Amino acid sequence: MTIFARLERWKEQGAITPEQHAHLASLSRREPFSLFLELNVLLYAGVLAFVAGLGWTVTTWSQQLGDVFVLTILSVILGACFWYCFSRAPAWSPAETPAPSAIFDYVLYLGSLVWCMELTYLEKRFQLLSGQWDLYLLATAGFFFFLAYRFDNRFVLSLALSSLAGWFGLTISRWPSHQDAAYRQYALLYCLFVGVGGALLQRRGLKPHFFGTYLNIVANILFWAVLSGVFGRQDYGPWSLALLVACGASLAWGLTRRQFAFVAYAAVYGYLGVSSLLLRNFNDTTAVLSYFVITGVVMLVGLIVIARRFGRSE
Amino acid sequence: MKLYSASSEETLRARKLLKDWAGEGLLAQEQYQRLEQETASDLRTTNIFLRLVLFFFTLIIVGAAVGLFFVVFLSHPSEQTAGVFCLIFAAVCYAAAEIAVSQARLHRYGIEEALLVYSVGFLCGGMQIAFFSGHYSTQPDGAQFLVPAAGTVFSLWIWHRFGLWYAFLAAMIFAVFLPGYWTSSHAAQHVIVAGVYAAGLMCVAAARSRHRYDHLEDAYSLVEALLWPGIYLAINLKLSSLDLPVRGWGSGIRASSEFARPFYWATWVLIWCLPAVVLARGVRLRDRFVIAVGAIVAILTFVSNKPYLGWPRHTWDPMLLGILLTGTALFIQRWLAGGPSRIRHGFTAVRLSGKDKQWMNAGSAVLGLIPSPAITPNPQTVNPDFRFGGGASGGGGASSEF
Repeated sequence: MTIFARLERWKEQGAITPEQHAHLASLSRREPFSLFLELNVLLYAGVLAFVAGLGWTVTTWSQQLGDVFVLTILSVILGACFWYCFSRAPAWSPAETPAPSAIFDYVLYLGSLVWCMELTYLEKRFQLLSGQWDLYLLATAGFFFFLAYRFDNRFVLSLALSSLAGWFGLTISRWPSHQDAAYRQYALLYCLFVGVGGALLQRRGLKPHFFGTYLNIVANILFWAVLSGVFGRQDYGPWSLALLVACGASLAWGLTRRQFAFVAYAAVYGYLGVSSLLLRNFNDTTAVLSYFVITGVVMLVGLIVIARRFGRSE
Repeated sequence: MKLYSASSEETLRARKLLKDWAGEGLLAQEQYQRLEQETASDLRTTNIFLRLVLFFFTLIIVGAAVGLFFVVFLSHPSEQTAGVFCLIFAAVCYAAAEIAVSQARLHRYGIEEALLVYSVGFLCGGMQIAFFSGHYSTQPDGAQFLVPAAGTVFSLWIWHRFGLWYAFLAAMIFAVFLPGYWTSSHAAQHVIVAGVYAAGLMCVAAARSRHRYDHLEDAYSLVEALLWPGIYLAINLKLSSLDLPVRGWGSGIRASSEFARPFYWATWVLIWCLPAVVLARGVRLRDRFVIAVGAIVAILTFVSNKPYLGWPRHTWDPMLLGILLTGTALFIQRWLAGGPSRIRHGFTAVRLSGKDKQWMNAGSAVLGLIPSPAITPNPQTVNPDFRFGGGASGGGGASSEF
């Protein structure tokens, strides 16, 4: 039975109104056909291509163009983007706010990328911050967080979170002995900072729809950091415990909130970590392969139970 | 021939549409709950995340089980023996997938998909090892084409029977390797591959015309969206010079002089014509995938046009492309918005589906991270002579000094 036959039957049964029937049938016939997604992808690709070309041109021709010209061009683009955004933006609201125009989000994204480019140019050319790249990244992250929350823009939120991660990373790069342990600690600190910050903002009702982005980024960085500790040859005990706690928390969150990405994180990261612990002193190929068969079946059965109880819907 | 009945597939499709409509507020919650009960399916489905994880663990189990078999029972098998056992495992994996679907009613569940992936891999690997092991000469064995041919046919069968779109993609990839066994002429190889894909496209287009607005149209739409870029990649001789991993016609960059001039310029004309044809067809059928493919091949044509003509690339070319893309999107958006009820010729720029919003939310969070390396540069080296730039590849006499 096609969808049209079903709609007809539901109309006759009184399950849907004739108006709903007409509307849903036309949607099923793709009348009208929405190009919303395609146009957004085109705008994103356009902004990315433009910024890539701009960066390439500035890098290649900076000597011929001169500092004044380069900075003027970048400043004009930057000013125009932010003028457009601040002049067209609706009044701020803590709830999800639709963009005032189709191009608005992309103009803001362009402005943010040009901001990065101009700061990089200034710093590399004039060393305004005397090589203090971490300060530059921290300030940029703060600015992007402001823009993301002011204009309700996930592109810029991602830039803010990655800039903040860069700030943590750059701080580590100055660490006296580039140890993994130190890197892990900073990664955990980042997760704590971003996770708690995101939760507080959500609890206060400030753009609560951003919370999913925070959680996904935090979960992945946390699991990577903990796994790197589990894979280490020394002091992996606490990290193993941390992995189990993280997996439990991720699984519980995923099941209670029906966010199955977190179930997947718990299953895959957890399996990799526990397998690494159990197999690290095994040299017997038969035993290792048997381990994968047995534990794989156990995981598969467990996941099927979860899928049947919780994860039916697409 | 197909494992899933049309009614089961239609029921699943109706269920998805209901969820989408309810998400958009087109149906009240009570209506949705009532109608959802009417779209209960006998097929066992799951969400994309659990599907991926189930796929992953099935890969681990089967891989380890086969490895264990070889370690325990065949410690040092001859190549022929190993190949024959691979063929047996291919049959076992395929049979297991059939049983999983027919008995457990799995539908895009990850488990049967991993089994099918292994069955194709074991079939081709087994054939290669059993019948053609030790043939490592630069001149391929004439009968060796049977390996990709079997891969093509078997993948097509899996696509037809299980409805997995990526099995069709695998068949297309296997088909790329076939002409290399038949002719050494690179031009002929390009033509054969394009011809095979075009023949496939004609078959799909003919079959698709009988399935307007049903579940098979979605399947044919995806396949058509794979075949069009396949044809495009086969006729665009310059994409290999863009360091794209196009293989099957040898490797490395091939000089344009290698091809006869009429052939070379005919392909140049075709790469300009094809995007228009694809876009026109996508718009006429209102097919999202085909429209997207049309846009992608149009961009590829812009990118590969200068290498075709032998013109130098400029650093500002991407900027011009960006302006063109943005301008095109804005023009279409404004033109559509100017129509009555923001609709022109049955098209609108307004979002109509909740899925579009989900895609946008997920996509913007992920895509926003792509240029991150540009804004998280390496720590500046403490070098008083440091100069911004270093564009050693700059054209027009530009030097790397700033």
